[in-house]
Amino acid sequence: MDFYTGKVLRIDLSAGATAVEPLDMDWARLYLGGKGLLFRYLWDEVAPGLDPASPANPLMLVTGPFAGTNVTTASRLVVGCKSPTTGTILDSYVGGSFAPEMKFAGYDIIILTGVAPEPTVVWISDDVVEFRSATPYLGMKTSEVEEALRNDLDGDAKVLSIGPAGESRIPWACLSTDQYHKAGRGGAGALMGMKNVKAVAIRGTGSVPVGDAKAFLDAMYALHHDYILTDTNLWAHEEGTPMLVDVINGGGALPTRNYSSGTFEGADKINSESFQKIRVKKRACYQCAIGCRNFHATKWAGAEVRGEGPEFETIALCGSNCGIDDIDALMKFNELCDELGMDTISSGSVVGLAMDLCEKGYADFGLAFGDSKGYLQAVELMAKREGYGAELALGAKALAAKYGHPELAMQVKNMEVPGYDPRGAFGMALSYATSDRGACHMRSFPVGQEIVEGSMPADTFEGKAEWIVNAEAGGQNFFALKFSGIWCDFWAIDLEQIAMLMKHLWGREFSRDELMQMGERIWNLGRLFNLREGLTIADDALPERMHDQRFAEGAAAGKVIDRAAFAAALQEYYAIRGWDAAGVPSEAKLSELGVDVRLSTASRRTKGE
Amino acid sequence: MPHVMISSKKCTGCHMCELACSAQHENAYRPSVARLFSEVNPTTGAIKGHTCLQTACAKCQEACPEDAIVTKEITVRVKGDYPGKEKHGEAVKGYVLVVDEEKCTNCGECYDVCPTGVIHEHPDREVAYKCDLCGGEPQCIAFCQNPHVLAVDLKVDKMDRELQA
Repeated sequence: MDFYTGKVLRIDLSAGATAVEPLDMDWARLYLGGKGLLFRYLWDEVAPGLDPASPANPLMLVTGPFAGTNVTTASRLVVGCKSPTTGTILDSYVGGSFAPEMKFAGYDIIILTGVAPEPTVVWISDDVVEFRSATPYLGMKTSEVEEALRNDLDGDAKVLSIGPAGESRIPWACLSTDQYHKAGRGGAGALMGMKNVKAVAIRGTGSVPVGDAKAFLDAMYALHHDYILTDTNLWAHEEGTPMLVDVINGGGALPTRNYSSGTFEGADKINSESFQKIRVKKRACYQCAIGCRNFHATKWAGAEVRGEGPEFETIALCGSNCGIDDIDALMKFNELCDELGMDTISSGSVVGLAMDLCEKGYADFGLAFGDSKGYLQAVELMAKREGYGAELALGAKALAAKYGHPELAMQVKNMEVPGYDPRGAFGMALSYATSDRGACHMRSFPVGQEIVEGSMPADTFEGKAEWIVNAEAGGQNFFALKFSGIWCDFWAIDLEQIAMLMKHLWGREFSRDELMQMGERIWNLGRLFNLREGLTIADDALPERMHDQRFAEGAAAGKVIDRAAFAAALQEYYAIRGWDAAGVPSEAKLSELGVDVRLSTASRRTKGE
Repeated sequence: MPHVMISSKKCTGCHMCELACSAQHENAYRPSVARLFSEVNPTTGAIKGHTCLQTACAKCQEACPEDAIVTKEITVRVKGDYPGKEKHGEAVKGYVLVVDEEKCTNCGECYDVCPTGVIHEHPDREVAYKCDLCGGEPQCIAFCQNPHVLAVDLKVDKMDRELQA
């Protein structure tokens, strides 16, 4: 088989044993790769009701079939497990060069189970897997452990590591690779910490066959020339996501001072124009001709601060949401999160909440909106669970509850809300509530129409459920397909281009309907997993303040998410999905989609039967 | 020359050139045997391009005891854009150094003298492999087509210029 390596590497950390087994090609046909294949393996290998902190919770590293080729952006890796943070299924994505290296080493998927008896680095050099002591690397920041492992193992090794935050199992600890690239959300880094693994390092010298490589090169050249390197995608190179600061602020949906406002008076100090002044150069993930990464450098307290980013979400949550308009402090916060290995969305949300609790007199951490010194101290204390940082490390939901004000936690399914306030873009209310892993902007993106393009009215649910399910540009079914490819959000790939690539992969034509159905199949599988884990309609909910608190100013002034309108939109969404009023997929829908599992089925399939 | 150069200032570190190079020469994606590479420090962002300078260097040719590194005339027609295209026009004539696999004994003399580290023993065959400008249509340049980047360039030296005339 071309493109796929056809192999899964299993690493049993408890036993110190490894095994290689064939990739299940029936599943690859149904679920493609990336998100889809991850979900299918998780369905089989996470026993229903499993404690996510249990050694049995697998940490899966899954590639897409096009990783390690000239298909732009398809180098992304998805990591997954039952999330220790949300209790849902988790798929978390990261760019860089780790996934292609996995393919060159000969693996489509790597599955880590058990717990290593001592702190461990897993070192994979093609078909040789070694378990090395991680003792010398404990406590190292992500840049330090990467460099140390390149020095100690192989200069060309690619490293997927945790920082101090992963070691202390912060619920939003990341997996880091190529220093600035993070599988950020949902706590995969915390799970790797629980497994006593500091890093997985890999070097691959093999090949990814694609059939007639010269013909494939010609096709890829044409694809780049005609579709990829055009204005549709090059905004990401020329400006990148910081351009959203002004746009979302203008739409009244920029999280400000723990979501108490949708506009930030200091936005122009942390917008795209301001970041362009400290831009050093553009960088790219492996196998990406677009190159969206903004490498910035500045100074904080006399020392150099650098980072690939921050991206919009970081600017929103760690900037305006904390009342911070000091670009240097924001750069430093971003660098600390990168080095400690923590998701910036959750870090910014939790620190913003802690500031809010202090300002309202409910807690006394000595934090205040806009106070950059306290804010930078908070992030370090949090990562190490020191002082009041131990309380912040509970996460927004538990922290707010502990201080008697659960309504101040901006989270869905215990995942903190990203940088688009639903009061300024109603579609995002439904998008966050129905996302498979909690509040996430990467499961459907109606705000792209509601505010960025302005092609859909922002303050209504009319048409939103249909859009979120079925829209080609940014609906859940399409994104489920796209993130199985795995193509990056920043390539506005369409169904024709996907069909062309799928023809190279499978040697046959794919209709638009068949492709969209594949996405829908994957989305339904994720829903079944979450239902099996006990999630109900009550979990498809929003933070209370979205329903109650009106903004005083900005484009969304006076708007709230009406409870009855939201409930009706949720029911409309379920109905469009072919789910019942409790959000359970019907048998007819699952059959139509060819989903090969059912809720009542005993989950474990014995391989080879 | 002509030879390929990677601008470390412009290069984003995407490695598309290495991928395309390996697909062209190995009939599969295998960047560990690419004929050029971009050395990237992920933390500092520092980048160093490693490419063959062909006749402008020729240390491999000088070192070869078997005369297995051969100077060949070549006409390069680059697919797509590159910084020097306006100057050079559609076709560039010049010389390229290629390995005569019949003569090469894999003695390793050239591996030791190459200043940019781009001539090696092939992992599957006991011969040296190096950049041959893809026989005239270099894929590395064709896959560095972001108009804001164009980091992979084609350079022409004196010896080539004489040939143009």
